[in-house]
Amino acid sequence: MSDTHSTSRARGFCAVRGAGGPRAALTARLPLVSLLVVLVVLVVLPLYLQEFWLRVGFSIFGAVIGAIGLTILVGTTGQLSLGHAFFLAVGAISYCWLASEPSDLGSRHLGGLGLPPLVAMVLAVLISGLAGLLFSPVSARLRGIYLGIASLGLVFVGQHVLNSATPVTGGFNGRRTPHFSLFGFAFDNDDSGFAVLGVPFGRFERLWYLGLVLVVLAAWFAYGVLRSRPGRALRAVRDGEIAAAVTGIDVTGYRARAFLVSSMYAGLAGVLYALSIGSVAPESFTVDVSIQYLAIILLGGLGSIGGAVAGSVFVIGLPLLLEQYSENLPFLSAPGSSGVTSAEAAKYAYGAAVILFVLFQPRGLAGIAYTLVSGRRAAALRRGSDPPPDGGGPPAGRGRAAADGAAFAGTGSVGPAGTVQADLPAGAASGG
Amino acid sequence: MTGAADTTSVTGSPGAGPLTRERPVPQPPAAEPLVVRDVTVRFGALAALADVSLRVEPGSVHALIGPNGAGKSTLFNVISGVYRVTSGRVLLGETVLTGQRPHRVTALGVGRAFQNLAGSPYESVLDNIMIGRHHLMRTGFLGAGLRVPAARREERLHRARAREIAEFLDLGARLHVPIGILPYGERKRVEVARALATEPRVLLLDEPVAGMNGVETAQMTAAIRAIRASLGITVLLVEHDMAMVMSLADRVTVLDFGRVVADGTPAEVSRDPAVIRAYLGTGDEGDAATGAAAVTLAADAAGGPGPAEAAGGPATGAAAAGQRADPDDEIAVSTRKEQP
Amino acid sequence: MTTFVSLLVNGISQGAVYALIALGFVIIFKASEVLNFAHGSMLFVGAYLTARLVGPVGFAAAAVIGVVGTALLAVLVERLLFSRVGRGTGLATQGQVAALTIMTLGLDIVIATDLTRRIGSRVLSLDQPWGTGAFSVGGVGLAYNRLIAMGTAAVLILAFFAAFRFTGWGVALRASAEDPEAAALMGIRHWHVSALAWLVAGGLAAVAAVFLTGSPTPGLEPSIRTVAFLAFPAAIIGGLDSTTGALAGGVIVGVAQSLVAGYADHLQFLGGDFGGAVPYVVMLVVLLARPAGLFGTRELARV
Repeated sequence: MSDTHSTSRARGFCAVRGAGGPRAALTARLPLVSLLVVLVVLVVLPLYLQEFWLRVGFSIFGAVIGAIGLTILVGTTGQLSLGHAFFLAVGAISYCWLASEPSDLGSRHLGGLGLPPLVAMVLAVLISGLAGLLFSPVSARLRGIYLGIASLGLVFVGQHVLNSATPVTGGFNGRRTPHFSLFGFAFDNDDSGFAVLGVPFGRFERLWYLGLVLVVLAAWFAYGVLRSRPGRALRAVRDGEIAAAVTGIDVTGYRARAFLVSSMYAGLAGVLYALSIGSVAPESFTVDVSIQYLAIILLGGLGSIGGAVAGSVFVIGLPLLLEQYSENLPFLSAPGSSGVTSAEAAKYAYGAAVILFVLFQPRGLAGIAYTLVSGRRAAALRRGSDPPPDGGGPPAGRGRAAADGAAFAGTGSVGPAGTVQADLPAGAASGG
Repeated sequence: MTGAADTTSVTGSPGAGPLTRERPVPQPPAAEPLVVRDVTVRFGALAALADVSLRVEPGSVHALIGPNGAGKSTLFNVISGVYRVTSGRVLLGETVLTGQRPHRVTALGVGRAFQNLAGSPYESVLDNIMIGRHHLMRTGFLGAGLRVPAARREERLHRARAREIAEFLDLGARLHVPIGILPYGERKRVEVARALATEPRVLLLDEPVAGMNGVETAQMTAAIRAIRASLGITVLLVEHDMAMVMSLADRVTVLDFGRVVADGTPAEVSRDPAVIRAYLGTGDEGDAATGAAAVTLAADAAGGPGPAEAAGGPATGAAAAGQRADPDDEIAVSTRKEQP
Repeated sequence: MTTFVSLLVNGISQGAVYALIALGFVIIFKASEVLNFAHGSMLFVGAYLTARLVGPVGFAAAAVIGVVGTALLAVLVERLLFSRVGRGTGLATQGQVAALTIMTLGLDIVIATDLTRRIGSRVLSLDQPWGTGAFSVGGVGLAYNRLIAMGTAAVLILAFFAAFRFTGWGVALRASAEDPEAAALMGIRHWHVSALAWLVAGGLAAVAAVFLTGSPTPGLEPSIRTVAFLAFPAAIIGGLDSTTGALAGGVIVGVAQSLVAGYADHLQFLGGDFGGAVPYVVMLVVLLARPAGLFGTRELARV
């Protein structure tokens, strides 16, 4: 009896996907179509936007790349990392050092290799990856909160190095970012009068396209990884290390690889950041930056690439947006006065958003999208329900929660398990 | 689920032929025994396992039973490579398993279905089964990210295999359903499917029917029978459902306090006084040492999956209810331990 | 030699203050299993309240209000936010614990932004009555602030350990931390334990803030938040679930920082301001040898 009941219910959920006809074909294609539309819009926008918005866009592109990396590490693989700012710094500084000619500014000597910017960018990404690999012995031995705090240490070590290694990093004052160029085509304001469709293409128009191409490639690559074998392995590590190991997954290896991938993405994001600001300084790579990225991926939805985009738009775009319109908004005032500046207002906003999302929608904006797309299924999952079994099985929400709560210590190393999971069992959303 | 027994077997490579119950192609079963030799596991001063030895014949169903805390899960963890032994070895044929890391043990042919259902409720059945294929695939980050043809081909082939395995366990209609909304019995089958997907030669089943009602138990039991018959896989299972164990198992090993107390056929073991003592305790010790374990004596020939018993409760009526009790008969009282 | 002793003593006194912070941090962890990213903000709130009230009501009253206010704020946070997320029975899952941890991040952002804005670029003084003087014994110099800090910390820590061992709450906290289900079944109302834990942690943080903003520090600046980031490695070094460990960790961090700063000339090869990174380096070294911290419990899992 229960079997037919549950069968028909499960079939009902399958039916949401399986409804036939042209309407279904359209629904299935909808994500792809809307993606293409968005891409077309993004390609065309620089013809219409002013410099300010181009800069915002480029910043967002960079942040998205960084966020993708972090969400793979924290969301998909469940490894808490506060060290993202460190890897951003490695990427940014490496690019600056590799691409700059050595110079002497007064008493400061800044080193550099003067490599072509494209080569420098690629190498910077690789160096960041190397840094991520070097961290892997730590990640192999630590878990949960312990790993999180250890990664936090990286940021402080990074701050120290940034402030001290002046010939490379420029010390406390930092150094300028060399302009990007590709086979002689400079991504900078030049007098070439280069124009597309009558619109003069200056530095930020060109950077926009650089950012767009990179972010599309980065997202495409990440998406491929996440929905195939390595992605499954990472999620298995998140969901239970011992079960994953016993199913044939080299857990330690994948955790190291997660750090590697994440740090490479962060490195690229660091390069773009350096290009967008025009210079790099230690104050750009503090703990607050790590925290900001965590907020981005939480708001977007842990483990979701679309979420990384949405979160970045909100967290990075909002302060810049507010800044631009601060005169028009009554509650904002200029820096230095006693009121609330746009940057602060934005921080209030996303800080509060993090709190609210954790309370009410822990799966982030991606979770909201999932609910909109597969409503019934999402509701059932949120209720944590098996359809009521005939006396068999543990009670749905609580019981499975207890099972999920079993902390797997893994081979050898320990730590109170505080690993971050992309999903929250029913108990959270239902308010206990 | 109660199809005719067939003897289709499985090989390690995809595309070796579909698994169906109706395809009677005789194949040799798994050839190597799983041997546990004098395994001792100490946690500090506590010996969770002491000189445990057993031998699982290839292609057989071997049950591991015992009161709570007897060391059954510990032994599974030893075999899987999750726990290190203080002394002793585990061998699969000639290959030594002890000392290997868990994912290596899996690659060597030992699959395991867990008691606690791990896994995000949002993952689909197919994705869960595909995790089992992991060690048989080679696609890495670069290949997957760049979507190279070899990666796509590999994914396709292994998905087909995963589908076959799902069909074999009657999960074919559920492939894209997130496991969070599946009924409990089906979730447990997904666990087994995942373990099967690793193409094991030995399958460790950790309380496969725990918490199931009669119908689900029957389904799982039939599945295990089919696994043995069609796939020739050796099955080692831990269970508390005595009726199921006694009807299904070829051999039974009984553990108590980390030691082997009895080893033999179900009939032999159910009559062994040491076993009875292990479950009931003697008059003086009582069963305090065994905690809240169920009291279980096994029926003789009256075994077999009984009529639907209410699950979850600590004590149920006698499985022999409805049969006339002869004073010389052994009474079958089956109870099922409440789920933690 | 006197340099060394001087550095050591100063380090211990600083460490005592760190220990207070780390202790609060560990108490929260034991009660709620949450990594409290907002601890720095609690420090900040405590110092700010005191600094703002010092003018009107004088130091003593201001300090009391600061401590009590922070403690109450901490409880408020705990009640309002955490009780919603299924902590009522103390049976949080891994996912919920992680979510709560991230929520403290959000809180930290909000509070820190607000207080930083209010302070602006000023440095607020808390007007500690013992002033900026120092005393010197045999070449070993110690600011009065630091001396009193040590003393106060010692008293508070002893009081805490006494409470931990002998009062109902202490037993309840230990029981809850060790086995939440059993504790709940034994009638320990988890929310009592949790609320009180946050209360104590908030109070300790505020006390620590008073000393952190005293001599030789110029006063309260937004950078006080980063001091909390020193409490994290201190707590980890000691073992995140060990209150004794918090004490040890705090002192170790304080001493390490002091020594490194004091011998900075000899350590030029490491670069200038290594002090911020020292606690983390020490932490990494400790963790490589003892992954659960010095006094932390190694966790074994049931599979």
